[in-house]
Amino acid sequence: MQAKLAGYFNSHSYRVTRKLTSKVLHYTVLISLSFVFIYPIMYILSQSFMQITDITDATVQWVPKELSFEHYRFAFDKMDYWHSFTNSALSTLGPAFAQIISCSIIGYGFARYQFPGHRILLGLVLFTFLVPPQTIVIPLFIFFGELNWLNTHLPIIVPSIFGQGLRGALFVLIFMQFFRGLPYQLEEAARIDGAGAYRTFMQIMLPLAGPALLVVFLFSTVWHWNDVFQPNLYYMIEEHFNLPQQLAILDTEGVFRVQQAKMMTGGGTLASVPTNYNRNMAGALITILPLIILYSFAQRYFIEGVERTGIAGD
Amino acid sequence: MMRFMKISMRKRYFLEGYSFISLWLIGFLLFMAVPLGRSLYYSFNDMVLTNEGLVGTYNGIAFFRDAFTTDVDFLPKLMATITTMVVHVPLIIIFAMFSALLLNRPFRGRMVFRSFFFLPVIIASGVVLQTLMNQGAATLPIFVQYDLATALSQYIPLEILMPLLKMMESLTLVMWDSGVQILIFLAGLQAISPSLYEAAKCDGATPWESFWKITFPMITPMILVNILFSVVNSFTKINNSVMIYIHSVAFKENDYGYGAALGWIYFIIIFIIILIVMFMFRNMDSPYTREGK
Repeated sequence: MQAKLAGYFNSHSYRVTRKLTSKVLHYTVLISLSFVFIYPIMYILSQSFMQITDITDATVQWVPKELSFEHYRFAFDKMDYWHSFTNSALSTLGPAFAQIISCSIIGYGFARYQFPGHRILLGLVLFTFLVPPQTIVIPLFIFFGELNWLNTHLPIIVPSIFGQGLRGALFVLIFMQFFRGLPYQLEEAARIDGAGAYRTFMQIMLPLAGPALLVVFLFSTVWHWNDVFQPNLYYMIEEHFNLPQQLAILDTEGVFRVQQAKMMTGGGTLASVPTNYNRNMAGALITILPLIILYSFAQRYFIEGVERTGIAGD
Repeated sequence: MMRFMKISMRKRYFLEGYSFISLWLIGFLLFMAVPLGRSLYYSFNDMVLTNEGLVGTYNGIAFFRDAFTTDVDFLPKLMATITTMVVHVPLIIIFAMFSALLLNRPFRGRMVFRSFFFLPVIIASGVVLQTLMNQGAATLPIFVQYDLATALSQYIPLEILMPLLKMMESLTLVMWDSGVQILIFLAGLQAISPSLYEAAKCDGATPWESFWKITFPMITPMILVNILFSVVNSFTKINNSVMIYIHSVAFKENDYGYGAALGWIYFIIIFIIILIVMFMFRNMDSPYTREGK
């Protein structure tokens, strides 16, 4: 019996079945996990196209009976889309470009120069990554107020020029890790040919840093676009609001009604309160649509870039 | 030109190095060191806005004492944040590693699945997640729809079931939070040379063994990186109740001193947690190379 079993385990058919089961299992797990990731997008899409009649209709689960762009039209107008989009783009691309320039320079300095105090300064870079924004936000707010920078893009852009700003420390570390992975011979050759340190960096090293620049730029763009903490502080009048801020106030009416109902019923049934959350879903979609478009073009380079930047180095 | 040449090569090298990082030094002083110092000063002073600007009167450690004694809101919120972090971070790490292993195998449609797994980084940060959570769409409907709780309560005692279900419920949030971590693990897995696996296979190692003897030790540094990232991420998320609370104390009640004190308490606690994590990993830096020595 045992010999027979052992024979089966070594047979060709066993190996084929095993391979097949493992493949099926692999895809099953992958597809079910992917569902969790696509679920929010599907939810947003389906809800945003639904009309009131579809919401109350029990037969409608995912696909609305007819396409309604009414919520999109509402959200588009109420959020003052193009204006807010411009605000968002400025407060996103500005710091993103500033960060790829400054963080690449700083990262290169840390990667290639062993100056006195290197360890301590690098430790401080890590330290800045750990400081929660809440700890320093009050003095910063007062400081920017004194400079008359409130309601401008400067509080978000200027720190980025100096390698600070939203997760600047992380980007410095990514660039450092990347430049460490490049061979020294490149610089030596450039030096022998008479290029100075800055020229070597600009003309030899920076052009090689494409993948790292792209990864940092994309991360920075995504995080700045979705950030509401800084904009909520520094953009205080509606004229300067960016898209996420507009989304947050899109359905103030509905939120108010929910609160009222909660007070009246003591937090009980909410089903009867029309919150128009389909409008919010439409707003949510047009808020992240630019990012989704960007991602669909760049995701390939994004993922390959992370592998090549050697974030995963020691 | 001649004077410039007089500086020794070594000094020049140092100067070049400093000039590259000088941008960061300025930024660090202006936007980190000075604000940190000022907020430390605020936290020991009662700040009042007068005609001459912000005036502080020395207050000692009263704010720090208040935070733990008289403030009824702060401690529960802090505890809730820390508990969420302690529960979520290990789940994120395990899930991210599992996903990275799944995605690292060569198979058809790998790029498509990768882009799906990374999608939440775009959606799940910021207001959009908040909007989804307000709608109750941040949890999968299966738990509610199929009345899982009552069905399972027949087999599992409620004391165990409820926390378990709670964890399951937050699982979607965990999964949406692990996009970057998956990417970092993937990059780490790609860096492992395939010849190691081949050698292990020749020596008769099962896939299970080669995971624990090769893959796991090789990506331990990535585990540390991911834990640090996840901890920082969970502490600075916008829907984090402590963050919201400090914000409202500082900017709605305009209590700058107390807000700064709370900010410092929060920072110190994060720092201690990070130190504990670093301490746990102090020996695990690179077990693979150490064994070889």
